[in-house]
Amino acid sequence: MRPSSVMAVIITALLAAVLIYVAEDIPGFGDPEAPAIKSVKLFSLPADGVELLLNQNSIPEPLSVRLHERGLPEPSRIEKIPGAEGQWNLFVPKEELNYPKEEKYYLVRKEGRDLVVSRYAFVVRWIEKGEEETGVPNMVTYGLADYRGYDTLGETSVIFTAGVSVILLLRRRGRL
Amino acid sequence: MEALIAKVFSKYNYWIFILLMLIGFYAIIAKNNLIKKMIGLNIFQTAIFLFFISLGAVKGGTAPIVSQEMIQKGYVYVNPLPHVLILTAIVVSVATTAVALSLIIRLNKEYGTIEEDEILEHLRIEGSSKETSARQG
Amino acid sequence: MKEKGTSIIVATVSRVMIPFIQLFALYVIIHGSGGPGGGFQGGVIFGASFILYVIVYHWEGGRKRLPEGANTIFSSLGLYIYAGTGLLAILFSVGAAQYLNYGFIPFTSHFVENRALGMECVEIGIGITVMAVTASIFFDLADGGPEKEKGDKEGSH
Repeated sequence: MRPSSVMAVIITALLAAVLIYVAEDIPGFGDPEAPAIKSVKLFSLPADGVELLLNQNSIPEPLSVRLHERGLPEPSRIEKIPGAEGQWNLFVPKEELNYPKEEKYYLVRKEGRDLVVSRYAFVVRWIEKGEEETGVPNMVTYGLADYRGYDTLGETSVIFTAGVSVILLLRRRGRL
Repeated sequence: MEALIAKVFSKYNYWIFILLMLIGFYAIIAKNNLIKKMIGLNIFQTAIFLFFISLGAVKGGTAPIVSQEMIQKGYVYVNPLPHVLILTAIVVSVATTAVALSLIIRLNKEYGTIEEDEILEHLRIEGSSKETSARQG
Repeated sequence: MKEKGTSIIVATVSRVMIPFIQLFALYVIIHGSGGPGGGFQGGVIFGASFILYVIVYHWEGGRKRLPEGANTIFSSLGLYIYAGTGLLAILFSVGAAQYLNYGFIPFTSHFVENRALGMECVEIGIGITVMAVTASIFFDLADGGPEKEKGDKEGSH
């Protein structure tokens, strides 16, 4: 049944109220530190004597215990980020043919008296390593045709199906 | 009071997205003409694309093409992942529009009109005439 | 030149511009890896040049330049090229068979350059399919659907 105009306006106003209520929780526009652009927070540790161990390139005990009970991979190398106080990059080894040997995985930051451990979003690997892995400067092109090539195959078949269905609907002579 | 106004104006992309989406939604459910419904569907899809791409914006970011001089000057890049996903969605919307237009052409040939309530009248009259002829026969 | 209302300005300008539009479409497809562009965008521009031809020279003139058989062959040729590149990658990566990993196809001798060349091949395939499907949809919609025969409605009940 098609609703009359008054009912359509009421339904639209209700939908508007729901959307405005939801829109307040979304982070601000253009924030570079928002989740899924740079890093996703995992957990936080109390920083007692852990900083000295991190500066000397050895993995502290409580960190590896917490990572192990969550099922996350173990880091193998620690590097301090130059130019920023109290931030470290943790690298995880990978064994695959024709690909780089280790991958930048965790980000450890010191905020107040806690250490916040977070995981890098995978877009960071696209932006930083994509040019050397594929040899093409345009990020969107190598994202469409190389890293997400399977989706593009399905999508080309969608447009082919559209062409076929228009032919089927509009080229009949005679009875349906 | 100033905090509320600042909060409203800092998220201007969400208000534009909500306005466009509601215009498209109203056109789909409240208009009679089939072509106007399809235009409403297109406006709705455009609003969704706008919202999804604006989620990946970064302040002061440039276009996502890697070049060494930009890195040396210290520029940041925009998130390229939403651009990739929306490229696929745009092609799907074109395919949907093409099939819907060909269905409208067939409906016009069959019933002679593209207003929705006249088509429903035709179907109701045909349904009731079939019932009476089945009861008699 | 003036038949059924085609203005002479539109006809002359289109006759000059259509080859340049097609050249620009090929440029957008091939330079998609150095700047904005790619397979879908170039394919749509190429299809738009066919639509401009139909506006000037009417439906029969357009159908003479792009016959139905060629249109159907082009629209499935692009999909063959895409899936065929993937199968070629399985053939050449003996042992660990990986679909659509263009690094193993031996265009040149480096892993990284093979990936770039495989991407170009795939983009050409996408461009061909999108061009043919856009032109085919427009030709079918402009024709106006099938004709109704007399006595059709009574026969179907």
